[in-house]
Amino acid sequence: MKQRTLWTTALVVGLTLTAGCGSAAGPGSSSGGSSDKLVVWDWKSGDPKAAGYVEKAKADFAKKHPGVNVEFVAQPFDQYYTLLGAAIQAGKGPDVILFNGGGQIRDRSDALAPLDSYVADDKQRLAGWDAFTKAGKVYAEPVTLQGHPIYYNKDLYQKAGIDAPAKTWDDFVKNCGVVTAKTGAKCFALGNKEGVGIQFFLSAMGSAVLTPQEYDDWIAGKRNWSSPDVKRIFELWKQTADAGLNTDGANSTAMFNDAFAAFNSAKAANVIGLMSDVGHWKDFAEFLTPEKLGVMQAPLVNPAAKPSLPYDGGIGYAVAKWTKDPKLAADLVRSLTSTEALKAFYVDGGAIASDTTIDTSAGGPAVKTIVSEVKSGKPALHVALSSKTIDLMGRLSQQLLSGSTTVDDVLQQLAASDKTG
Amino acid sequence: MGSRAERLAPLVLVAPAVLIIVVLRLWPLVLGVNFSFTGDGDRNGMMVGFANYLTLFSDPLFRTALRNVGLLVLLLPVAVAIPGLLATFIYLRVPGHRLYRGVYFFPAVLSPVIVGAIFNLLLAFDGPLNRLLGGLGLGPVDWLGDPGVAIFTVVGVHVWATFGMALVVFLAGFATLDSSLLDAAKVDGASFAQTIWHVIVPSLSRTIQFVFVTTMIGMLTSMFGLLYVMTSGGPEGSTYLPEYYIWIQQGQMNQPALASAASTALFLIMLVVGLAQIGILRRAAGKED
Repeated sequence: MKQRTLWTTALVVGLTLTAGCGSAAGPGSSSGGSSDKLVVWDWKSGDPKAAGYVEKAKADFAKKHPGVNVEFVAQPFDQYYTLLGAAIQAGKGPDVILFNGGGQIRDRSDALAPLDSYVADDKQRLAGWDAFTKAGKVYAEPVTLQGHPIYYNKDLYQKAGIDAPAKTWDDFVKNCGVVTAKTGAKCFALGNKEGVGIQFFLSAMGSAVLTPQEYDDWIAGKRNWSSPDVKRIFELWKQTADAGLNTDGANSTAMFNDAFAAFNSAKAANVIGLMSDVGHWKDFAEFLTPEKLGVMQAPLVNPAAKPSLPYDGGIGYAVAKWTKDPKLAADLVRSLTSTEALKAFYVDGGAIASDTTIDTSAGGPAVKTIVSEVKSGKPALHVALSSKTIDLMGRLSQQLLSGSTTVDDVLQQLAASDKTG
Repeated sequence: MGSRAERLAPLVLVAPAVLIIVVLRLWPLVLGVNFSFTGDGDRNGMMVGFANYLTLFSDPLFRTALRNVGLLVLLLPVAVAIPGLLATFIYLRVPGHRLYRGVYFFPAVLSPVIVGAIFNLLLAFDGPLNRLLGGLGLGPVDWLGDPGVAIFTVVGVHVWATFGMALVVFLAGFATLDSSLLDAAKVDGASFAQTIWHVIVPSLSRTIQFVFVTTMIGMLTSMFGLLYVMTSGGPEGSTYLPEYYIWIQQGQMNQPALASAASTALFLIMLVVGLAQIGILRRAAGKED
C-alpha cells in the first residue's frame, strides 16, 4: 500500500513538472551546422538527373565562399515533411531546406528566415515567387516552375479529323465525342485516387471559368465559394464523370503515374499534367514523340474569363530560422538558383526552371508553348488553398465522381474549411 | 529478512530493464500525452486543454477511422476461421496437403508494400480480376475505388498476406491433438462438421485464443503499409485507420499536437483491447487448470 502511494506521488510530481513543457519549439534550442559548414536537406540531390545541377550550384557557391563546406542530405520524399517536422520541433536541423511551394512552405514559415533582403537582385530573373511568399515576405527562392498545362495527343485528334484544339468547352466536349467514336480513346486520362485529379482540374480550368477579377480575389484569399462561377468549375468536374469523359475507375487510379501512363498509351486524348518533375512534356514526348504532343489553352467556359497558364514556383530552397549565419545560407540559396545550375536542371531533368532567360527552343513544340505562356500565366488556384482544405477537396471530389454528394454540399464544406484552415 | 545487500540485490538486477522501459517507453509516452494538450501552429506550446480531443472527435475522418477499427474487430472471427479451416484440411491430409502447406505460408514472407503493389495491379478497374468477372458476365467492381467495398478489399488482402503465420500456429496446435479422439469420433459416425465442432475446436481452444490475440494485434498495428500503397486512406476517406490518420496529421498537415492526441486515443483503444484479451486468456487458462 505504501509503495503504491509512493508511485502515485512520483507520477503526479513528474506530470506536474512536465506540464507545459511540450512546446514544439523549446526555448533557446537553436543549432545548425557551424558557420563553416552548411547542411542542405532535399529529396532531389540523390537523383542522378539532378547531379549536374547540384555540382554547378556547389561550384558557384565555392567561388564566393571557398572555405565553407556544403553537405547535401537527400531524404526520401514520402518521409520528407515528417522528418522535417521532427527537425522543426527540435529547433535544429539543416540550414537550407528544399520545399514545395504553396501550403507546404507557408504552413512551416514560422521555422524559416525571411529572405527579402538577400534576394532582391534575383527578383527580375526568376519567376514563381508567389508560392514561396507569405504575408508579403519571401521565404524561398524558386528553382522550378510547376503548373498544369492541358496536354493533348495530336495523333488521336488527327485520326478523328480534328485539326486544332477547341477554343470553347462545348466544342471541346464535342471533339472528345468524335475522338472517342473514331478511336475509342477517352477524353481525359484521370487519376483521382490521391485526390490529386481535382487539384489539377480546378487549376487548369479555373482561368477559363472565373473572371480575371474573381481569379485575382481567389489568389488574394478573398474566395467566394458561393459564387456561380466557382460552382461552375465543380459542376464541370461532375460533368466529366457523368458524361463518361474520364478514363474508367478514376477514384482507384493513381495520377502518379497510372493516369499519365494511360495518356502515354493513347487511352485518352487529353491529360492535365505538370510542367516539371514527372508527368510533364519530357515524359510524354518520350512516348508520343515531341511532334505528336500538343499543349492547349483551357477551353473557354465563361465569355468573361481570360484563360491563362496556371503555374507557381514548384520547388525552392529556404533558410532555417536557427542557422548561425543567415546571409551565408542565403548565398547558398542564390547559388542553387544561379542560371548555370538551373540550366543543368532543365537539360538533365526536363524541369521548367524558374529562370526565364534559359533557352528552351530545342525541347519541342509543347515546351515552347508552355514557356511562351509563362509570362501571361497566373498562380494556380489550388496552390492558394491550405493543405487541410486540399485534403478535404480530394475526398469530396471522389464523392462527386461516385455521385454520392452534390456540388452545393461540396462547396458548403469547402467554404467552412477554407474559413478555419 | 536477509542482510541489506541481499534485499537490494534484486532491485539492482532489475534496474537496467526498468530503466530502459521507463526512459524509452513510459517517459516518451508521458511526453506524448502532455504534448497532446498543447496547440498547433500559432498556438504552438500553449496549453489548450482538451481542444485537440474535441477537434479529433468532431472530425468525420477520425470517426471513420474508429468505425473501421470496430469493423476490424467484427471481421476478426473470419480472419481466424480461414487459417483454422485450412489447417484442418491440411491436418486431415487432403490430397496435395504438402504443397498447400508451403503455398499458404508463402505470402507471409512478402512485405506489405509488395503485396499492395501486386494487388493494385490485380484489382485495378481494368485489371485481370475485373476482366475475369467480365468474362463471366458480371459487371466490373471498382475494388479500390468504391467506398463501400475498398475497406473489405484491403482487409481481405491483409488476411491473405498474413494468415500463413496463423496457419503454422494452428498446425502446431494440431500436433498436440489426441488422434484417438478423432478415431473415436469416426467410429461413432460423426460427420465432418460435427468432428470440427465437437472434437477439434474444444481441443484447440488455447491455440484459437492465441491466434485471436495475435491476429487482432496484427490488424490494428500493421495495416499501414497496405493502406498507404493500396488506397491512401481513400476513396472518400473510407479506409482510414487511426495509424494512417496520425501519419497524415503529423507529416502532411503539420499538426503534431493533434497527431499526439490521436496517438493517445489509439493507445487507449489498444490498452482496452489488450486488457480484454489478457482477461479472456487468463480466464480460459484458469478453466483448464
